[in-house]
Amino acid sequence: MSSLRILVSFKVTPDFEALREADWLAGAEDDAAEDAAHGVETRYVRRVLNCFDESALEMALRLADARAQRGSATSLGALSVGGKETEPYLKTLLALGYERAARVEPEAALDFAPAVVASLIAGYVRQVDHSDLLLLGCRSGPGDSGTVPFLLAEALGWPCLTQVLEVEPLPDDRVRVACLVDDGLRRVTLRLPCVLAVGNAVVSQLRVPTLTDRLARKHAPIDVLSGADLGVDIAGDLRRETCVLTGLETIDRARRGVIVGGATPAAKAHALFAAHLKDLVEKL
Amino acid sequence: MRFAAILDGTTGAAARQAQALDGFLREGLSGDLAGETLVFYQDDRDKTRLVESAPTRAVRLIKTTVRRPERLVEVLAAVARDEEISLFLFAGGPAGTELATRLAHRAGGAVLTDALSIAAGTGHLLCRKNTYSAHLVGRFELSGGPSCVTIDASWNDGPKPELAEHDVLSDTDETGGPDGAPFEDVELVDLPSSGDLAEGRFLVVAGYGAGNREGVERISKAARRMGAAFGVSRPVAMNAWAPMDRLLGVSGTRAAPDLCIVVGASGAPAFYWGIEKAAFIVALDTDEHAPIVRNADAVVIDDGVAIIEELAQIIAAASERD
Repeated sequence: MSSLRILVSFKVTPDFEALREADWLAGAEDDAAEDAAHGVETRYVRRVLNCFDESALEMALRLADARAQRGSATSLGALSVGGKETEPYLKTLLALGYERAARVEPEAALDFAPAVVASLIAGYVRQVDHSDLLLLGCRSGPGDSGTVPFLLAEALGWPCLTQVLEVEPLPDDRVRVACLVDDGLRRVTLRLPCVLAVGNAVVSQLRVPTLTDRLARKHAPIDVLSGADLGVDIAGDLRRETCVLTGLETIDRARRGVIVGGATPAAKAHALFAAHLKDLVEKL
Repeated sequence: MRFAAILDGTTGAAARQAQALDGFLREGLSGDLAGETLVFYQDDRDKTRLVESAPTRAVRLIKTTVRRPERLVEVLAAVARDEEISLFLFAGGPAGTELATRLAHRAGGAVLTDALSIAAGTGHLLCRKNTYSAHLVGRFELSGGPSCVTIDASWNDGPKPELAEHDVLSDTDETGGPDGAPFEDVELVDLPSSGDLAEGRFLVVAGYGAGNREGVERISKAARRMGAAFGVSRPVAMNAWAPMDRLLGVSGTRAAPDLCIVVGASGAPAFYWGIEKAAFIVALDTDEHAPIVRNADAVVIDDGVAIIEELAQIIAAASERD
């Protein structure tokens, strides 16, 4: 294969750790009301790349680098099902060497609709991108279903591996992949096309583009598509969803939280040991 | 309603699957449901062991040759087509997610992963699962064709199944079937064991509040001195201050120690899920407003690295005295 087309699909999510306790409570309470739109108010929270997708984006760059060293060409594309909040990330990816950048306007909340998301990505792969390799994170919030990679594999008729930790290009149209399975680490060779869903990979941070690269690709276009462009009836598919979120509950994790005091760190450590740990440690 | 629990005896994880399914069937599943276990196996010598570990009395054996989810999905899709089964239940993990998702897609059913509980209603199932990185539990209604559900990893640490009797209803050979596995040169490598994390009785955890790699190493050293297993939160692993196999939480290991000391981790739910089964949690943190403070049994507000080093000295001295 002379030029390999890799597509990375990613999601931009609210930083859930930045939400206040009160927002979670309100999200669960609003939800108890009839006809409430399910979900938590996250509009004011900063956005982050889903961590597994970030690994996938960097892994694709490294795959392209490794192939370039052998004189093989790679064309990288990035796709996100999401609104305008994805565009700064798409611009960054263009500056990093991604040639194609696109987003699909979701039209409705798709956080708990993995089947619709998978249809949109599959539609893009088949009708627009004609990719050879599809990389994405193994799961993303808030739904955390982990099903999108396999739904894509079913829609495309491609093999799929999840919990991928490493991908190494081989000289032909195959890749060598390391992935976690239920009983260990599996290394396999597979022929493209395929879907690879990235897990807790060591490659976890996306590189940062230089200002020169940013300026050079400043005017590179971002394609914006609709469900209809990809042959997907988003509203209809949502109505036909067979797994529907009906409510949210808070989780009570509170424990006693006894604060141990003392004048110095050493005094506090001694007080902690005497009051709480001595008996426990003896039994261990 | 009828359910089928799937035990994949072609992997080395079958015993853990059986344990999780058994616990879930007894405590996580409610409503008018009766079912059986479909046991996949490759080697006749494994049959007795697999049948004995099955979480239901009724067992159906299915022989397959290749360790390939694709083949298992084809067999299950045929079962879904021919029989009135409302729920296919899988243990959690990558293989369960793949089987449940692909089967739901082919059988026109619903899929839900990592269920905390399932209640059977009239014509539908109500499932609960963690959402928003374990900040909230979501309630989901599953309807349509057969529901394909994997169970949450929190069911992995239950007691071993003790069902005394089993009735083997059938033993079918599905070793023929179309081949065409997309994988070549398959090699299964044992992972560097993180069993000490999952099974250790005393655990020390370093969070981002350790400040840097040196801070994490000091905590790890203190853990060794106290004879504790050592784990980290995701930001620590992401910064490569410790290896990924030390990761605790939703995307890593779930531990259930008698004592867990958390140093400088704010206690974000995705992390806390990994330690919530600990019998006693101590938090060492400079931030008195961090969630971990409310979610720990005892707390010291101070420099956690300094405190854990002091504690290591005290505990080492105490064990020498013994």
